[in-house]
Amino acid sequence: MKACIKYWNKPSRCAYLFLAPSVILLILFSVIPLAAAFGLSLFDVPITMNTASFVGFTNFIEAFHDERFLNSLKVTAVFTLLEVPLQVFGALVIASFLTKNNFRNKLLRAIYFLPVICSATAVGIMWKMILHSNIGFITAVLQTMGLGKINFLNTPGLTIFVVSFISLWRSFGISAIIYVTAIQQVSASLYEAAEMDGAGKIKQFFHITAPSIRPTFWYILMTRFAGALQIFDIIYITTNGGPNYTTESTVTYIYSRAFSSASSMGYASAMSVILFVIIMAVTVVMYRKMNKED
Amino acid sequence: MKKRAISILLTTAMTISLFTGCGGAEKAAEAPQAEKEPAAQESEGEQTQPEADSQTAAESVKVTFWNSFTGADGDMLTDLVNRYNEENTDGITVEMDISADFDSQLSTAFAAGTGPTMILSSSAYRFTYGDYMQDISDVFEKTNLDKTDFIQSYLDYCSEGDTLYFVPFQIVGYYMYWNKDLFTAAGLDPETPPSTWDEWAEYAQKLTDESKNVYGSGISYDYAYQIAHIMQRFGGLAVTGESGNWKANFEGNSGYAKFLNMYQTMVQNGDNPLEADTDSMASAGQIGMTVGGPWVTAGLDTAGVNYGIGLIPTGDAGDMNSVEVLGFSVTTAASDAEKAAAYKFIEWWNTENAEGSSPALEWSVANGFPAYTYSVQEKDAYKASAKLSAMSAANPDAPTDFIVDSSFPGTNAVIADVIPEMINSVAFGSSSVEDALAKAQEAADKITANY
Repeated sequence: MKACIKYWNKPSRCAYLFLAPSVILLILFSVIPLAAAFGLSLFDVPITMNTASFVGFTNFIEAFHDERFLNSLKVTAVFTLLEVPLQVFGALVIASFLTKNNFRNKLLRAIYFLPVICSATAVGIMWKMILHSNIGFITAVLQTMGLGKINFLNTPGLTIFVVSFISLWRSFGISAIIYVTAIQQVSASLYEAAEMDGAGKIKQFFHITAPSIRPTFWYILMTRFAGALQIFDIIYITTNGGPNYTTESTVTYIYSRAFSSASSMGYASAMSVILFVIIMAVTVVMYRKMNKED
Repeated sequence: MKKRAISILLTTAMTISLFTGCGGAEKAAEAPQAEKEPAAQESEGEQTQPEADSQTAAESVKVTFWNSFTGADGDMLTDLVNRYNEENTDGITVEMDISADFDSQLSTAFAAGTGPTMILSSSAYRFTYGDYMQDISDVFEKTNLDKTDFIQSYLDYCSEGDTLYFVPFQIVGYYMYWNKDLFTAAGLDPETPPSTWDEWAEYAQKLTDESKNVYGSGISYDYAYQIAHIMQRFGGLAVTGESGNWKANFEGNSGYAKFLNMYQTMVQNGDNPLEADTDSMASAGQIGMTVGGPWVTAGLDTAGVNYGIGLIPTGDAGDMNSVEVLGFSVTTAASDAEKAAAYKFIEWWNTENAEGSSPALEWSVANGFPAYTYSVQEKDAYKASAKLSAMSAANPDAPTDFIVDSSFPGTNAVIADVIPEMINSVAFGSSSVEDALAKAQEAADKITANY
């Protein structure tokens, strides 16, 4: 026992012990499923996984010839381009107004954070009801104002914007809170010095706040990018990919292939692998860019 | 030094607890197997021991029962299962697990080599999970259930040849619902709904009142089941034939083309909303006529809508009584003793008590699902329900197949992929009716080729 304690009682060894729980969880719930998905993608496997026939890269070739999959990639890209910049920059702007720890700001932070703790299902159903083309509250109000009957959730070309907005509404609170925390860590002396030099609030923001919270900015950008590319819950609840597949994201489509249609786990896994590669490529590019800036 | 030792101990404890957690899961997964063995032995014992021993042998039998009845009907199912657990003297305990994620839960369990004793699902599940379901055709020999009391066409739904996979539990047909107040307001007879689709289109036009956001027809582009039930009235089944020789019937199907043209015209004229959720509109009193399952009545009743129920109008394909049958099935995870216990539960469900009622009758009357046995159909409580009478008015000789031949294994794929793509492309004008049908034919041919 003494020898064991002595062996582990070195910072270089002890660190592994502290890392072990996280690493084990990561291996069990991320690495192994990921490897399994890679393996499955090379097989034709039904949902019960009781049979498997090796098909090589056939699933991948099929995916690149599948109109709905290609459409889902396009939809996901559009959604990401709409949601991520608005989230990353919008949350930053909001956060910059909420940094002081007064009652009003605390209340607003809580309000902005509220949708984050609500389940996506509840949020989705709520917005679905509010925006219903015929019995929705917002639709009725707009109609009363003479703006006509806007079919928010059933108009190709419009619905993707609506879904992006709902997703943004639901999750921007967390980005804002992270920004607030980061901004509060910036040394007050920097702002005092800037004020003494006559710098206004906007100059302070661009020359002190923004550079100081750059790592936070990159963190939010990367996590939101990865999150947006995997969007599923809000779309599944509000539009289920409609109208006419104009909001069908890649993960929504993968889910339908795996669970609600012919239940082709191999094909669904192949599409998941393609999405994984895309997300990884984007993340690596961003990570390099971040390191370069640092 | 002391602090370091404590930290090492804590870390070790965390790691061990992690492994213990994983081990616990493994034990939990193994538990049913461990419980199963004695039960199986008991079952063997039952065959050789006198009757006096059989009750003791059955004492420990537990039936794990999975389903997806998460709605209000799930509460009633829970009450009935609890009642069975209290009432039965066979020592059987039914442990029910209702899950919204039933399908993935089931597939995961089967893939892991485990699973419940009994499930409640659509009879179409036999095409996906048939390898994990036991033949229960001996249920009529081993219980007091009378096979001739069950409507044969529904039993056919639950079988493949001589193998019975399900005992019917619920018949899900689709019906026409019309808003009587809107009919009156439009100058139509509220007691005379349309009996043909030409009348449907004509009435839809009369019922529509743009100023009040009222639409005459409520067919949703996003409701494949609704579309499928209507479509087959126009053009018959989408897939016919037999194993190894299935034929898709989309391209050149004049009935389907007629339906799509009618739907497109109604949408363009504003007589049918371009909306995914038409059920909410019906409940809000803004839909003149719609088609849906028995659950539509719950929304209409709650909202106080004055409505009528009838059979879906007949189209060119003639009389049809398309339904989906939900049933009880016993999985391969069940031991003989568990299977016998599941039979007991199914028997109880369909057996009359001293007052002449049965859980099957209670379920049917409370939830508005037509009966699958003649005896329940004859009950006064059943006959007294106007809804059930209307739902049971279908021609008993009409084919009960739903959109495809009932033995075609690719039903899900046709409903989940082919029909939605077809109706969406027509509804949003991204392709002509002919192109939509040609594309549907291509997609359906790919599916039929797999079987």
